[in-house]
Amino acid sequence: MTEAKSLALAKRGDKPASSSVARTGKENEVTKVLTFLIGEQVYGIEIPYIIEIIGVPPITTVPCYEIPSFIKGIINVRSKVVPVVNVRACFGKPEIDYDERACTVIVSHEGVSVGLIVDQVLDVSSVSEKHLARTPELNHVNNNKFIDYILEMADGVKLVLDVQKLIFDHDVAY
Amino acid sequence: MSKIDPGMAAMLDAYLFENSSLLEQLDDILLRTESAGVFTEEDINEIFRIMHTVKGSSAMMGFESLQELSHKGEDLFFLIRENKIDDTSFVYDLVFRMSDLFKEEIDLIQTEDYEPSDFSDIIKELEKGADILAGKTAAADSSAAPASPVAAAGASDDGAVADFGADFTTVIIHFESGIEMENLRAFLLLNKFHEETEVADSFPKNVDSDPSTASIIADTGFRITFRAEDKEAIIKLLNVSLNIDGFDFIENPAGAVPEGGIPSLAVEVAPAPKAPVQEVRAEVRAEAHDAPADSAPAKAAANNPIAGMGGATKQSIISVNLAKLDQLHDIVGEIITTESMVISNPELEGLQLESFHKAARDLRKLTDELQDTVMSIRMVPLSGPFSKMNRIVRDMKKALGKDVELIIEGENTEVDKSIVDNLNDPLMHLVRNCMDHGIETNVEDRVANGKPEKAFIKLAAVNASGEVIITITDDGKGIDHERVLDKAERLGLLMKSRSDYTEREAQNLITMPGFSTNEQVTEYSGRGVGMDVVKQNIEKCGGTVTVESRLGSGTTFIIKIPLTLAIIDGMEIEVGGTVFTIPISMIKQSFKVTEDQIIRDTQRGEMIMIRGECYPIMRLHERFNIMSEVTNFEDGILILVETENKAVCLFSDKLIGEQQVVVKPFPPYFSRYNIKGAGLSGCTIMGDGSIALIIDVANLIEN
Repeated sequence: MTEAKSLALAKRGDKPASSSVARTGKENEVTKVLTFLIGEQVYGIEIPYIIEIIGVPPITTVPCYEIPSFIKGIINVRSKVVPVVNVRACFGKPEIDYDERACTVIVSHEGVSVGLIVDQVLDVSSVSEKHLARTPELNHVNNNKFIDYILEMADGVKLVLDVQKLIFDHDVAY
Repeated sequence: MSKIDPGMAAMLDAYLFENSSLLEQLDDILLRTESAGVFTEEDINEIFRIMHTVKGSSAMMGFESLQELSHKGEDLFFLIRENKIDDTSFVYDLVFRMSDLFKEEIDLIQTEDYEPSDFSDIIKELEKGADILAGKTAAADSSAAPASPVAAAGASDDGAVADFGADFTTVIIHFESGIEMENLRAFLLLNKFHEETEVADSFPKNVDSDPSTASIIADTGFRITFRAEDKEAIIKLLNVSLNIDGFDFIENPAGAVPEGGIPSLAVEVAPAPKAPVQEVRAEVRAEAHDAPADSAPAKAAANNPIAGMGGATKQSIISVNLAKLDQLHDIVGEIITTESMVISNPELEGLQLESFHKAARDLRKLTDELQDTVMSIRMVPLSGPFSKMNRIVRDMKKALGKDVELIIEGENTEVDKSIVDNLNDPLMHLVRNCMDHGIETNVEDRVANGKPEKAFIKLAAVNASGEVIITITDDGKGIDHERVLDKAERLGLLMKSRSDYTEREAQNLITMPGFSTNEQVTEYSGRGVGMDVVKQNIEKCGGTVTVESRLGSGTTFIIKIPLTLAIIDGMEIEVGGTVFTIPISMIKQSFKVTEDQIIRDTQRGEMIMIRGECYPIMRLHERFNIMSEVTNFEDGILILVETENKAVCLFSDKLIGEQQVVVKPFPPYFSRYNIKGAGLSGCTIMGDGSIALIIDVANLIEN
């Protein structure tokens, strides 16, 4: 875990880095990724960003026309007011009602905490370099601006999200 | 911090905090007594205690220069106290200067490479002051009763027991052997004696400043001569005092001492009074052992003589790390949320749970109380920063020769601790500004304008419309906006063409960085940094500062601080499932209406007539774009809200109730969106854990 952490930390220090895992160059160095579902696609977020995973609490909408519709409002996480983003809506997918499997993943980056509503949380995968898929010109592919790197694992392809962009890069999102 | 013993570093925080607050207390007392024109005995004792605590703790921390400085200050008040000197006016400036130097030094101590400052100048002046006081004493003594303590003390410096006549009796006090710091203990005891009786003499002298006296006290005891009539009280005092091994009374000391040996030959005389005393001492010791004194609890206090000194007036205030309070606050919020999860747990539905509900009610009551208490802990009144202005006004009054009265209003308005910290500097700069620029230099100018000779500066605070509004008003010459524009033009600070500036905008140019109309830089202002600092500090806590001024009649600075964490009384309302809180202070009334009372204008505007006045109606569900089933006026409720220059009726689904709420700002994540413009100032977490949005009435109805 400490290795994973240092990996993630190094990554944060070197922003913007497209693929930190690739750069470490060592076969055995691993990070851990929390995987979750949006529709049929598996996405991941590196563990060090994650504060906690809770259900979908009642959300208070902030009625301000400037706020994009995928920012659903604010929730109370143990007396802290945390904004929530519907990842589905953020990715331009049609919104669905929150069922009992829907979760809010609270992530924190540079002191800003945000709750990400996902369809379903899967598990935590250990990631090493051999899982990294080559992603030439990833950023040119439409709708991929939030993706940091792609993993090819035995149980399928997982898209690891760039939390920095997911949280802050809204002006380009729709 | 090179000068500080590493072992002491942990105590440094406590030292700095304690001394800063003591020095503020000192300033307060001095200001009060100066305006009252007289020191009461209580004041003097309090000052003495403060000086002494400062001295003691400085000595303990090894700040010798500070120790010496406070010692000299203490001397001064010692003279005032002992001699009941009435005319002490010159003391104030001296002591204020000393207290300033002290504060500066305390600030310096907190820097990395602290070097003790040289206080020899002020010390000399303090000594001179003491001499003047002592001189007065001497003059008074020659005519007054010879029993005056200082005069008498002078006669008995050699250690012999002087004869003060039958009115006085002498006691020799022995401390427990090996307790150390006998001199300080003796000093404390002496202070207690002063409270009980008139002390004519004590030996050894200077116990508080001369550590070598400790060994004398250890060897021969500490001798105090006091009024015989108070003997019983003194015995009582000694019996309850700590660490006293025994005490002996010497009745009529003159008789016990061989004649002629009293004042002249110190060496020979010294053993003489000892002889009769020793025996008595042995007796008392024996007694003391038979009935063991209450020495056990004394140990704790004995380990910390400094704390013991401060204990004279018990402090009921402790300092707590702000982070811990934040944490406490969060935990309480969590408890409340969890509580409602337990009490209204769906699994309990349909069960007969009489005692459970009773217990639940008790729990709710307690958690409510807990929440209230925690909320109130963080809040501090503005009286702290406000009363500091007294001192500034006083000093500047003297320096500038302007007759100004400082009026303080609403100092009990409470704001969050972090805001108070950010307010000190802005307030200081604004008050200085008023004193220096605002108030006319020549009284004639004031009189010519029909204003009283005595000017005023008013500091006021109110909690209005969910904001804390602090105003600093002077009745001085006001701001000449033409001059401000001239200057701004010269400095290249104008952002648009000069003619486009309204009077108000022009006046607010003075808050631009680098702006100062005062051609001459004075000690107090004119460097053009003051207003800048004000603006920066206020903006740091999310507030605004504006200027309103009328040429010739005065200037008002208005600081509006948002209610980050301020507690407000709010009215909770519901609009289509969303809960909003409206600050009660903005609400004039709420009422039901019928459809036929509504007046409709040509552009779908709706209005209502109340007591002859027509108010527009704002449907909150439309304004906030919320789906609501309540769209008929009969089903909902109207709330009349009012700002300074506008009043509107808000239409909502229903009122939920009145509640005190802690205002939380929106998460910084939202700072890029203009939420304030949308009419929301913050949010609050309610008892059931849900979030209510706080309506910013001014922005809501004016945009």
